[in-house]
Amino acid sequence: MRKYFALALALTLMATMFVGVASAETSKVNWQAYAGTKLQVMFNQHNYQKAITDYGKLEEFEKKTGIDVEFSVTPEENYFDKLNIALSSKSGEPDIFMTGAYQVWEYASAGYMEPLEKYINDPTVTEPTYNFADFYPGVVGTLAWDCVPGHPVGSGSQWALPMGYELNNIAYNKKYFDEKGIKLPTTTGELLETAKSLKEWNGTGSYGIAVRGTRNWATIHPGYMTLFSTWGAKDFAIENGKLVCKLDSPEAIAMTDYWVKLVVEGSSPQWATFTWYEAGSHLGAGVAAMLYDATCNGYFQNYPAGASAQSGNLGWYAGVVPDGSGLTEKDIKSNVWVWSMGMNANSDNKGAAWLFLQYFTSPEYMLFSGTDGACADSPRKSVADSDAYKSVVGKSFGYLEALDTLLPNATIQFTPQPYFFETTTEWAATLQDLVEQYRTTGSCDTAGAMKALKQKLDIAVEDLQIG
Amino acid sequence: MATPKIQGAADLNTPPLKTRVRPYLIVAPALLITIGILIPFAMAIYFSLTSYTFRQPVANFVGLRNWIRMFQDSQFWNAVWVTLRYAFWSTLVEMVLGLGIAMLLGSLNNRFSRILRVALIFPLMVAPVIGTIIWQLMLQSSVGIIDKFFNLLGVYGMQWGASQKTAMMTVVMIDVWVNCPFVIILILAGIQSLPKSPFESAKIDGGSAWFNFKTLTLPMLKPCILIALLFRLMAALQEFSIIFALTKGGPGDTLMSLSVTAYTRGYMYQKFSSALPFILILWLIVNIAASQIVKAWRKAQYQATGKDLEEPARKKHGRVRKGESA
Amino acid sequence: MTAQRRLYALLKNGALALYAVFALFPLLWMVILTFKSDAEMLTTTFVFTPTLVNYEEVFLKTNYMRYILDSVIVSGGAVLVSVLAGVPAAYAFARYNFKKKEGIAFQILSFKFAPEILVVLPLYMIYQKLGLYDTYLGLIWVYQLISMPLIIWVVRGYFEDISVEIEHAAQVDGYSWWQIFLKILLPLIKPGLVAAALLCFIFSWNSFTFPLLLAGIQVEPITVAATKYLAQSVVHYGQMAVAATFSALPAIIFAIIIQKHLVRGLSFGAVKG
Repeated sequence: MRKYFALALALTLMATMFVGVASAETSKVNWQAYAGTKLQVMFNQHNYQKAITDYGKLEEFEKKTGIDVEFSVTPEENYFDKLNIALSSKSGEPDIFMTGAYQVWEYASAGYMEPLEKYINDPTVTEPTYNFADFYPGVVGTLAWDCVPGHPVGSGSQWALPMGYELNNIAYNKKYFDEKGIKLPTTTGELLETAKSLKEWNGTGSYGIAVRGTRNWATIHPGYMTLFSTWGAKDFAIENGKLVCKLDSPEAIAMTDYWVKLVVEGSSPQWATFTWYEAGSHLGAGVAAMLYDATCNGYFQNYPAGASAQSGNLGWYAGVVPDGSGLTEKDIKSNVWVWSMGMNANSDNKGAAWLFLQYFTSPEYMLFSGTDGACADSPRKSVADSDAYKSVVGKSFGYLEALDTLLPNATIQFTPQPYFFETTTEWAATLQDLVEQYRTTGSCDTAGAMKALKQKLDIAVEDLQIG
Repeated sequence: MATPKIQGAADLNTPPLKTRVRPYLIVAPALLITIGILIPFAMAIYFSLTSYTFRQPVANFVGLRNWIRMFQDSQFWNAVWVTLRYAFWSTLVEMVLGLGIAMLLGSLNNRFSRILRVALIFPLMVAPVIGTIIWQLMLQSSVGIIDKFFNLLGVYGMQWGASQKTAMMTVVMIDVWVNCPFVIILILAGIQSLPKSPFESAKIDGGSAWFNFKTLTLPMLKPCILIALLFRLMAALQEFSIIFALTKGGPGDTLMSLSVTAYTRGYMYQKFSSALPFILILWLIVNIAASQIVKAWRKAQYQATGKDLEEPARKKHGRVRKGESA
Repeated sequence: MTAQRRLYALLKNGALALYAVFALFPLLWMVILTFKSDAEMLTTTFVFTPTLVNYEEVFLKTNYMRYILDSVIVSGGAVLVSVLAGVPAAYAFARYNFKKKEGIAFQILSFKFAPEILVVLPLYMIYQKLGLYDTYLGLIWVYQLISMPLIIWVVRGYFEDISVEIEHAAQVDGYSWWQIFLKILLPLIKPGLVAAALLCFIFSWNSFTFPLLLAGIQVEPITVAATKYLAQSVVHYGQMAVAATFSALPAIIFAIIIQKHLVRGLSFGAVKG
């Protein structure tokens, strides 16, 4: 009897083994299907791009698929100009391009981008291990939109896949702050005082806080927009089926007024020429004591060791809240920027392009990029939770903690609409005007300028149809 | 191949068809290649009358709406003003400085001036956008040599391109750095080809150097000066790369010239049809200014040499004969 | 020399020296920067230990030579086309009288003065339809706007300088028109033609707007690529200096070679140097 029982048990066990094997997902993807194709990729100059191009990963991809990848790298100041032209020529080149969420509003509306869900959900082209659900919904959702102006992101087609994400917080020279016992400012008033007091902290030309300032949309969206939203202001609202600009609200005026003071009294006189690169490299060079910008901008100055003069000396925290608002750092409404990759709707090589996109957003690759690739903000939960990632990124003081604090309230604070470039660039121009006024005369007519800006932007968006 | 016959008097009035057509045939390839460029220009005018944007690349005819809007837009008038200011200042400084340096070089003949005559074309050979990069680097506050120099003099925090007050001055300076040599070599060539006798007579007659300059040198140099003015003014009115590379038109709207505004609205905001009128107005300004200067140049050339370009057009068809010039 | 004249001479040389500093110091400084390492960049001015590391980085580890090659191909191609089509046209303008001659000639000249941005967008819509976007041929064609007027007007002047009698004498000797053109005229204008061609090359080389907007991935001339070296997350000023300085070098060398003809070329034949 026991012999039969043992045999039955053994057979059952064996059977379950086979069942297990039969139900394990097998890859149906033919990675060599597009061998011999040539792909063109447009990159913005960024660490995310370096992680793909500078460490041999691209060659690995080319070997695995037989696809020949040609790419170009453009500095951010010129990148979107060039991309606009390339996409609108409808030539099908580039096949793949880096983009951000805001640009998706414009490009997807114009029909330049290929919806990706049909590739993601197709097991013949996507590995079962790809695990789309592994992406933070708050991050990958910013790249999904139904193309109706005014409607929030998160639903509709998936237009791009994230390479990383950026929240906005304050990075500072921890070494100096600790040495001098400087307390981290938690309100706007404290920030202004601290930035003022840090003038010439490290020799002539050094100053308190670096922020972006060129006549460009990129000046508005990091630190400025975060504080703007935390202050309770909004850029547009839908009223009577039309987009109405809300930049003349009391909160918008008050916040802009503060920001102008912060720039003039706490930042560099050459602020109006600062792009992402100047702001970050000033922190890294020890010229700026603080940086209110994208989380990873400071990170690239800090890691790996030797990345900049101040690498290893930097720290992060969530940011500041308006004086007297009674808010805490948990209420900070950080703006989100998601560098991502999208596919050209006119591309002739969509199959090959999908393989590229999949490969460089896969869990395996992103584990590399999040650690050795110095891409700090991994959009994949599996990577963010991994020990390897935590040990590398955790080396940057306060970085992970700041992310944790900001993530719950972080979203795209702008109102999605396809004229984003125009509205925010004119916004930046107005900011430059105000800074100049304040610097030269000691005061500025923020209310008047914001009201004039509102009228200008109302006209700019007036032909948009709201769903 | 038939050899063109030397035309006798009898052939003057009716040259054979082959000879009449030949010049057009010869010019044709050049014309074809360049006329291919005229088409975009015509398209530009057409599109300015439509509502073409990159977002909705459909050319719906809207008549003069873009034009009317532009004339009502304060940014347009600002752009015209910025364009004129930039062109005025850079051309003025280049002409005056160029004339002065050319006179100096013309009056010296030592080793230094001979070397300088060659060396000073170097800035002209640098692409304006590269020149802007070089100057940007020099004016920067962390590594810039000029900024360090100012620091030595006790001046800190010079803003150059970052301030509305100094931005125009900065781009004009860069433009002068690149293009002044153009004026210098042109005028210097004019100076070197001046006839000696009037000056020798003037020396005998006496008279101050300034008087000689005003009544002798300047008028004879006029064609030269006008050509330099023509080229520099036309280029300065449309200058794009220097301004764009330095501040993209900022701070605020201080440097938003017609070129930069058209580029920003067309390529950055993707509202192409509304950008075209800006650049078409610029083209109009350039054309008007050019024709005025060319007229003045023709007059000055005639006064200086007795030659007139208009004459040959009035001559009959045919090859140039002995002793004539085309 | 009297004391006054010596003073004048001193002042004149002094004024020239001031201008020379203004004109040449920036280039000199850039060259100095190319030899400075990143470590010493912010701390030293003129006294430092020179190093070749920036050159190494730029030439060996980036695509710099490729950008130079792209510039060479596009500029050289543009000049070639301009010479092939333009020299015969210049001859026609010099030797023939035909209706609307000056009109056509000035029309061609006016292309040079057309705002580049005006031309670019419609042009790239055409290019996209013709498949010329981001191609060598596309840039070579649009560069004709810059180089063709120059060749035609300058070479016309050189042709006009040659006395017609030379041609007539050759005709009497029985040479055909083509033979006269190739064997007699071309050698006579060769120095001027070479100079004009080199000047065209320089202008094409320095063009920024056209390659920025009509090319960019497969074709990337050095003027557009140089901006890349300026914007990096950790700025390498030394490399930037190498990129900028070397992009100007060919033009400077050519200018020295053709200096005798430079005036004529730059003024499109209006001023004889």
